[in-house]
Amino acid sequence: MKKQVKRKASKAIRKKTAAAKPETQTANRLVCLLGDEHLVKEYSALFQSYGIPVLELKNLASLKTSAKKISIAFELSLESSETKIHNVKTLDEVLEPSIPILSSSITSTVLSQAQSLRNKERLTGIAAFPTLVENKLVEIAPSLYTSTVIAEKITSFFANAKKETAIIEDSVGMVMPRILCQIINEALFTVQNDVANPKDIDTAMKLGTNYPHGPIEWGEKIGFKNIVAVLDALYKNHGEERYRVAPLLRQMAVAGTFWKAKE
Amino acid sequence: MALSIGIVGAGTMGAGIAHIAALNKCTVALYDINEEVIRRGVERINFEMKRSVDKSKISEDDMKQAMNRIKKRTNINDLDTCDVIIEAVLEDLRVKKDLFKKLDQIAHHTTILATNTSSLSVTSIAAATKKPERVVGMHFFNPVHMMKLVEIVKGALTNDETAKRATEIAHTLGKKTVQTKDTPGFIVNRVARPFYGEAFRLLSEGVASIQEIDRIVKGSGGFKMGPFELMDLIGNDVNFSVTESVYEQMYHDPRFQPSPLQKQMVEAGLLGKKTKKGFYNYEEQ
Repeated sequence: MKKQVKRKASKAIRKKTAAAKPETQTANRLVCLLGDEHLVKEYSALFQSYGIPVLELKNLASLKTSAKKISIAFELSLESSETKIHNVKTLDEVLEPSIPILSSSITSTVLSQAQSLRNKERLTGIAAFPTLVENKLVEIAPSLYTSTVIAEKITSFFANAKKETAIIEDSVGMVMPRILCQIINEALFTVQNDVANPKDIDTAMKLGTNYPHGPIEWGEKIGFKNIVAVLDALYKNHGEERYRVAPLLRQMAVAGTFWKAKE
Repeated sequence: MALSIGIVGAGTMGAGIAHIAALNKCTVALYDINEEVIRRGVERINFEMKRSVDKSKISEDDMKQAMNRIKKRTNINDLDTCDVIIEAVLEDLRVKKDLFKKLDQIAHHTTILATNTSSLSVTSIAAATKKPERVVGMHFFNPVHMMKLVEIVKGALTNDETAKRATEIAHTLGKKTVQTKDTPGFIVNRVARPFYGEAFRLLSEGVASIQEIDRIVKGSGGFKMGPFELMDLIGNDVNFSVTESVYEQMYHDPRFQPSPLQKQMVEAGLLGKKTKKGFYNYEEQ
């Protein structure tokens, strides 16, 4: 397969990080989490269950006082916003340049997020997405700037939290959120076209093709507004009708849950 | 009285349906034009039931009685007294239409005529008969004795009574049912399209490799199989033909666009497990 030469950056990283071992030093390994409230809670619980101390950052003012103890930082806002960019930028200004910063890169590339940073090489993308946090693998996307040293630190960190990592190319939607959101989108088109009712669609996908959850109940758990955010980003990024959001899905994003709106 | 089920086509799906019907105390008339196909079909049922006996899922006596309920038929007229006739021949609209025309003539007027099509129009098949209101889709999944689901497909002309009876018959066979209108891919083959389609996109955009995509879908998404492994299992030819069929019937809606790689795999004969080579290599080293 022909690839742009520069994109092979992640290939080297993949090789280097393939045999990631848990990090040995344990001093100064506070994990700093900020951004989406629910994801912060989920990751916080996950890391703490492996004895990794966590700092849930409510505001950036308190960052400076703990900066010295932080060994890795996560910005978990799903949608690209001024707040997200401001968060990442502040982390970059306050934390030592050797500290990795992971930022959710599902709706915008790591590359674009790194533009305003002084230390672009430390920013790395993560597929932080509701309902996927508890699973055994996490997708990591280095940008063209991300250094191998930073990527190695990240994979070692996740090995400590008993997580496998998959190094992928920096791309809107990443792998699992993109596939999943398109499945849920199709399920909502199917409801909208009056082909079948939501309950039957969930049953069909679980029993007919072994999905772990029905797409509509899964969408409710993820939050329909998060799915719309991913699909809108894919639509904008690819400029293709393929990623058009089902109008009913957009309504559900406003109403919150499917069942409430229908009752 | 026990339900009497006629099955047309003794291939994988037909034999699978005969298997569960016989186990659920229905009398089964298994028909195929080709005697050899029926023999192999019955052999497969025998093999699968034996495995169930070995795993203590059914008793030896259950198996013996079930096998006795399956009658081999090479004359289609012998299906005339069945309560339901389920068609499971190859996915070719013309073949199915001709068959339903014939079934409509030979079957008793109360017999339900069901098609196991996964991607053709039930409405179109029904239109070949004089009584399209008694024609319905009963879409089973492979392997039939393992997969719990039947999609009950209501064609444009299918009446409520027929859909209701098809649902009851599926329940008698121990299956769970969902109801769907007759639209391309019904529920499962439509909603599952992006599972494969986006995987091909990710691959062609160089985001991740075949192995990595499969690993991520299982490890991060909690799916039992990754898209490429699953395509190898289903058969790349089968999956491509479903993709193409849905795409054509949806008037080229870009959401359903097949991948050029998918076509190339079929052209190269890399069909998956059944040819020992697909996205992965299954040849014994």
